[in-house]
Amino acid sequence: MNALSLHLRPFLQLDKARPAVLLAAALLVSIAVAVQCGAVPVVGSDWLSVFGQADPSTASAGSYVLWNIRLPRALFAVLVGASMGMAGALTQGLFRNPLADPGLLGVSAGAACAVALTIVVFAGFNWPIPLAWRIWLLPAAAFCGALGVCFALDGVARWVTPGSIAGLLLTGVALNAMAAAIIGLCTYMANDEQLRNLSFWTLGSLAGANWALVAVLSLLLGVAGWRVRQLVRAMNALALGESAAAHVGVNVGHLRRNVIVLVALLAGFSAAWCGMIGFIGLIAPHLVRTWVGSDQRHVVPLSMLVGGLLLLLADTVARTVAIPAEIPVGIFTALLGSPFFLLLLRNARGRIG
Amino acid sequence: MNAMLMQTKPSTALLVLDAAALTLGTCRFGPFSTSVRAGERIAILGPSGAGKSTLLTLMSGERAAAGGQVQFLGRGLATWSLQDRAHHRAVLPQSSEVAFGLPVELVIGLGRVARAHDPLLDPIVKQAASLARAAHLLGRRFDTLSGGERARVQMARVFAQLWDVNDGLVLVDEPLAALDPGLQFDLLDSLDSYAAQRGHAVVAILHDINHAVLGFDRLWLVADGKLVDDVACSAAAVPALEALYGIALTCMTNAQGDLVITPTRRLARRVAQDAVLA
Repeated sequence: MNALSLHLRPFLQLDKARPAVLLAAALLVSIAVAVQCGAVPVVGSDWLSVFGQADPSTASAGSYVLWNIRLPRALFAVLVGASMGMAGALTQGLFRNPLADPGLLGVSAGAACAVALTIVVFAGFNWPIPLAWRIWLLPAAAFCGALGVCFALDGVARWVTPGSIAGLLLTGVALNAMAAAIIGLCTYMANDEQLRNLSFWTLGSLAGANWALVAVLSLLLGVAGWRVRQLVRAMNALALGESAAAHVGVNVGHLRRNVIVLVALLAGFSAAWCGMIGFIGLIAPHLVRTWVGSDQRHVVPLSMLVGGLLLLLADTVARTVAIPAEIPVGIFTALLGSPFFLLLLRNARGRIG
Repeated sequence: MNAMLMQTKPSTALLVLDAAALTLGTCRFGPFSTSVRAGERIAILGPSGAGKSTLLTLMSGERAAAGGQVQFLGRGLATWSLQDRAHHRAVLPQSSEVAFGLPVELVIGLGRVARAHDPLLDPIVKQAASLARAAHLLGRRFDTLSGGERARVQMARVFAQLWDVNDGLVLVDEPLAALDPGLQFDLLDSLDSYAAQRGHAVVAILHDINHAVLGFDRLWLVADGKLVDDVACSAAAVPALEALYGIALTCMTNAQGDLVITPTRRLARRVAQDAVLA
């Protein structure tokens, strides 16, 4: 009976829960390690400080660093990584393609491009936007940019080069190039302050983490996870091909639109707050598939955990390897991710075309 | 759903094509006017590129008819939701590619993905797999299977889709092409008993005339995008088949009393075309 476990529960089943438990444990340990690492030492009493002393003047530097900098940053890294892992798993399922990734396909670049336009060009228009709305301006722009690229990809990849892995990746190359050109143009036109803001996007960093972002991103992930729970069974059918998926009763157009909006939401918002961090969405689902198999019901939730773990580790290394300086984590993931991508390409030989 | 099932009496037409036509690029298909009654077994025969698969996509609703109408269970096929269609008709397409190497039992179970509550999924997947001679493949990854094994798994998926339904419609496109001769007969038998037990109508695109003769009641002969003939499956169909393929056929009855049709030689090209046009 165990060999054939096809229950209707959309996500994890008991015999498949072991990887999830292991990953969650690894994640907790990593968070604990991550908050210990850094220039300022954190001791046990700092953990308790939040319950006892409300007065900031008596609190040690360690407790301030722990509760206001390291912990939100560690959680933020986990949440962003989880968004990227989920976005990657959804993208790969949508395009039926293990080499698809929001970063490679230009979705993150589209988001960053929209953000660059917002910072440099639209800022000059002086639109009367209430102050409270302004923090949402960049995320909203990033979401629109990501959404635009997603729909363009979906359209171009299906009409121009249907069913071709190479065609999809090349479309991504073209969209990436276009976004890079627009970002370059914005950089050229920007003044000093805008330039500083812009470089933050293109490098990718988690330094902007705070509790408010952690709360918003958890909410976002919660909503996305709830929606994916309803879609994930049908996403498996997509692996049969579009016509066969329609034959077994899946409304493919509706599913595609839903998944595209979700991917744009996850990739766009994570790009809005921490710039372009690549390859997590490519690596995480791939690791999960080699571990537990390709059932989307397992791949999506486990990719979130693996993505969170990967980005947390990358960020911890990036900010501690050259104390007191901090390497932008986007550079770090790209350095590690590109060889991994080449490895995947090598294994995909013969299937590309 | 149950109400819909009760409307279907064995005598009424399950699927009606009323001058259904389609244009793909420069190729015109149809108009097709014909019908499938409940429980009927129909084989579609015709030369390669004649439009057999296109006719099947019109019947499955994968492509909407540009002209004319397709009625399924007394209602326009276009007005059916994909989910409702999936409860009453299963389709086996020609290509059997599955991305990512899903496990075999999941691929078979995907036939029933449109059902919100499906407590019998496990046993049905197992039974469908053994009926399609694929029971030993459960637990394997789809991308590690051979062509013939993939064909059987896809067949099992189609079986699973309409396993607990009656009076449905099964559309299969060259289900036997990748199989060895022994398995071809096995699967033909399986398809036959599967459909007979549930009263499903079967419409199958075939390349082997003998398979058509063995397991089907009616032959639809398709050439140049038109339905040129609709004949009962018997020795009397041989002249029409000769004209369809442009070959001479020899007819024999073997010791079991089965009709065996053997291609002997190619007819002159002109004769064949004249016969089809006539």
